[in-house]
Amino acid sequence: MNFLGYVRPDGSAGIRNYVLVIPGGFLAAKICDIVEGTRSILTADSGSGRTSRDRETIARTLIGLGRNPNVASVIVHNLNTGIGYPELKPERIAGEIARSGKQVELIDAAEEGGNFGALEKGVQLAREMTYEASKLRREPCDLSLLSVGVKCGHSDTTSGIAGNPVVGNLFDRIVAGGGTAFFGETTEIIGAEQFLAKRAINKGVAQRILEAATEIETIAKSTGEDIRTVNPVPSNIAGGISSLEEKSLGAIHKSGSAPIQGVLKYGERPPGKGLYFVDNWMSMASIFAGYAASGAQLVMFQLGGGGVRGENLLYPTTAVVAPLMWTTANPKTLAMASTAVDFYSGTVIEGTETIEEAGERLLQTVLDIASGTVTRVENIRHVNPTQIYLRDPCF
Amino acid sequence: MAAKGALKIAENDNVATVLEDAAAGTEVPVRFGRETTPVKALEAIPFGFKIALAAISRGSKVVKYGEPIGIASKDIRQGEMVHVHNIEGARGRGDLARGGVK
Repeated sequence: MNFLGYVRPDGSAGIRNYVLVIPGGFLAAKICDIVEGTRSILTADSGSGRTSRDRETIARTLIGLGRNPNVASVIVHNLNTGIGYPELKPERIAGEIARSGKQVELIDAAEEGGNFGALEKGVQLAREMTYEASKLRREPCDLSLLSVGVKCGHSDTTSGIAGNPVVGNLFDRIVAGGGTAFFGETTEIIGAEQFLAKRAINKGVAQRILEAATEIETIAKSTGEDIRTVNPVPSNIAGGISSLEEKSLGAIHKSGSAPIQGVLKYGERPPGKGLYFVDNWMSMASIFAGYAASGAQLVMFQLGGGGVRGENLLYPTTAVVAPLMWTTANPKTLAMASTAVDFYSGTVIEGTETIEEAGERLLQTVLDIASGTVTRVENIRHVNPTQIYLRDPCF
Repeated sequence: MAAKGALKIAENDNVATVLEDAAAGTEVPVRFGRETTPVKALEAIPFGFKIALAAISRGSKVVKYGEPIGIASKDIRQGEMVHVHNIEGARGRGDLARGGVK
């Protein structure tokens, strides 16, 4: 089972071929305006006034994006990292990315005569680096080199019975092929955490899954609002969902049936291959960039959509360097957003395909996208801001 | 695009999700993989709601996705609709006490 990818010095394989400019901000944005083939992260999370845990999360996200296989080479500048926190020093970020063997260039604005000198240097560097990247050719890569992250959202009746199980079947196929798959959304495993814990490879991992659910539930309660008074929501019940367990069990079916190898922090790189649970937040403004920092070359949004009107929600990616694809099992959603949805699994509901057959078809769609077919929203030039998943108060 | 019958997800499920409005008294073809087993709907069951595939006695588990999704709060006959009127979540009982779901 192959796709055509760009082989990197560390043996990983990109499904895209970008030059990344980090951190986000004036210099990165202007370089990306001028030079085709570049990407940057747009975020207000600079690290200023943040705890060391949160600063490390920001650093991990930037480093992870730089190491993502979709990135050919990286420019790191110091315009937004001049505050002095050790975690965010440009030399540290550049050094950790360079361990992957990629070309990493540092720009020091103080040595370039300020912002505009740095801009000229950055533009010329980016032009040279995208030129070099363009010389790479795609070559056959094994499925074991693919990593995919998923989120489900706007869930309705079709999600739990078709949309999520078909994604889960895809995950089983990727894991069976030696690849890597990420799922998460910790709040939405409450009620199904025991089921997930049973799938952990060992007691330690099982314990970490249960702790993640307990931690988020405890935080939710500390706000004075019981999270369970809102879940399942009235529209879930009106749509046939009878309990929180039923909703959560539907949601986690996007993870398939493979053993869970570990629990990762937001943006953390997995220690090996296989299926990983990421302790993250469900917002698409946050989750996809985290998956990309963990190494996902492709991210998926499995959409119910029964409660969504029009195409308003079908944004392009916030995964910075990873394309976003949309799947749905709801025929009404498909009709509403036919120019944005990449894969339809309502066939399972209609009885024309089994979950296994749809899963095989989804794998072929994923391999096509991995080989260069653009996702339906990938050719829209727009960058949404990323909310890095920070856990602590700011000071 | 017509949805057909009902869908059972896992081997040991005792409920299936109805995928086309079923009128009382009709035979609902319940699909599991490539197998189809008819179950007579004892009442009208709309799209997206669950039908009992077997009798479920009060206090026993309602199973979907191969996992318990709640406990039967009254005896449920094969072919009855299964929803908040005859099943209670085993988690979040504080919410139920406040009438949040009932």
